[in-house]
Amino acid sequence: MFDLLSIGLKYVFVFIIYLFIFTIIRMIYLDIRNVDYGNLDSGAYLKLLNRIDSLPYNLSDSYPVEAELTLGRQKDNTIQIKDPYISKRHFRIIKDEEEFFLEDLGSSNGTYLNGEKIHDVVRIGKGDIIKVGELEFIFINGA
Amino acid sequence: MNEGLINKAPRKLLFLFEILSLSLIFLYSWEGIQTETYVIAVGLVLLIYFSNYLLGRISKGDNYIFLIVCMLVSIGIIMIYRISPDLGLKQLMWLTFGIAMFFAAYFAVRYISFWGRLTPIYLLASYALFALTLIMGSRTHGAINWITISGVSVQPAEITKIVLVFLLAAFYGGDEKYRKIKNAEVYLMIVVYSFIGLLFLQRDLGTALIFFGVFTGLQYIYSQDRRLIWANLGLATVGGIAGYLIFDHVRVRVTTWLNPWPHINDKGYQITQSLFAISEGGFFGTGLGRGNPSFIPLSYNDFIFSAISEEMGIFTGIGIIMLFMLLVYRGFKIALSQENQFFRMVALGISMIFGIQSFIIIGGVLKVIPLTGLTLPFVSYGGTSVVTSFIALGILQGASEKRGRGGIGNE
Repeated sequence: MFDLLSIGLKYVFVFIIYLFIFTIIRMIYLDIRNVDYGNLDSGAYLKLLNRIDSLPYNLSDSYPVEAELTLGRQKDNTIQIKDPYISKRHFRIIKDEEEFFLEDLGSSNGTYLNGEKIHDVVRIGKGDIIKVGELEFIFINGA
Repeated sequence: MNEGLINKAPRKLLFLFEILSLSLIFLYSWEGIQTETYVIAVGLVLLIYFSNYLLGRISKGDNYIFLIVCMLVSIGIIMIYRISPDLGLKQLMWLTFGIAMFFAAYFAVRYISFWGRLTPIYLLASYALFALTLIMGSRTHGAINWITISGVSVQPAEITKIVLVFLLAAFYGGDEKYRKIKNAEVYLMIVVYSFIGLLFLQRDLGTALIFFGVFTGLQYIYSQDRRLIWANLGLATVGGIAGYLIFDHVRVRVTTWLNPWPHINDKGYQITQSLFAISEGGFFGTGLGRGNPSFIPLSYNDFIFSAISEEMGIFTGIGIIMLFMLLVYRGFKIALSQENQFFRMVALGISMIFGIQSFIIIGGVLKVIPLTGLTLPFVSYGGTSVVTSFIALGILQGASEKRGRGGIGNE
């Protein structure tokens, strides 16, 4: 009885161990794919031009722009930056029919597009540089 | 939704494996069933379930390494229990302690930030541990590497391994000031070679190889001076040949590696029994409880790979190798995505320890390279080995989380 069970189960054990390894490899593979293609290739994103290690706060290298992206000091912004030069709600980028518009939300120190201070809503395209305080972002539209 | 489902799959497989193998163990010792069998069954499942659950809650870092190690641990403890129920129960106690130390190490790495600035302390600690071994050490299986403190035997060299990684990482990645001393890297090399020499004197060849491997690896990656790498390799070649000519115990290892068959009754007994066991098992093994792993001396310890291959088949053996490969791969991946230089090197060093150690012992029992006594991390029986391996894993887990950028010295 025991012998039979033991002989039967040895195949099951090998099967379980390999299935375990396979699932882990698959999970790792899916993770890698997310990192490589998920963020960058599809759609538009903002890329930070400053060297990240020169900044006193945590920021990512790039931020995808979907329907709306806001930047400011307050918590509910898409990009929160704890910098005294940046207003609570500084600017936003909105997408309207495949075009992107930058709007200053009444910030005290202003938002600069390619070196010029903006006053109203401005249409932005690939390669435009947005500057707020010390920070510079380049807008990239991959699609 | 879908993500969550995928994430739970390996955990479920792990439990399925444990429950099936434990019920088989129940049947195996049906007549002499004792309370310890229940303890080990319930204990193992609960321990692994809760530590996985807890880790998922507290750590945002890598979530694969602990799962992989849980699988290795489960395979190991079931085999150890099947060889000797007493040792199995002890191993369960060590595992519990080891996992507790895993979390302790994880929190220590997460909340304490000055690890990279302790170069002199690591240096002193390593020498202190060596001194302790030489003064209080006792000889087992040909090596002086055990000391006994109030009834518990510990192997200081296992701890020194981790200290060495911290020392190298602190030197290359933490403090700038020690690297600026003239010829600092030469001094570092002298220090590491003195460690290796001491290990040779203790006849702990396996650990000496690990020290050499980790040092060479980190030096190759981070050293600015290419000549030192050549010097290191040259010294190793000369040292290896000298060791072979001077030390008798080195020669024995090489002889039994080249041809163990004339010495089958004495020197070559272990390795030939190991080969017999592996070939007896074939692809799928004889089945748990149906082989004779006790024919191999130390089958629960250094030779656990042969015992597992005999009863669970070489496919399980290959599975173990693949699990180690995945573990090392994840370790490298952690090192690559870690931006803090010190912790990047720590992660790299620890992954190298796991990789080199499993390579040396699996290669040894398969007669691919000369056999040196080492434990297979997480699988073999052995208190110090299990606990220090889990500490190393805890450090790796801590290093997998995002940290401040740049070296600690730049802060």
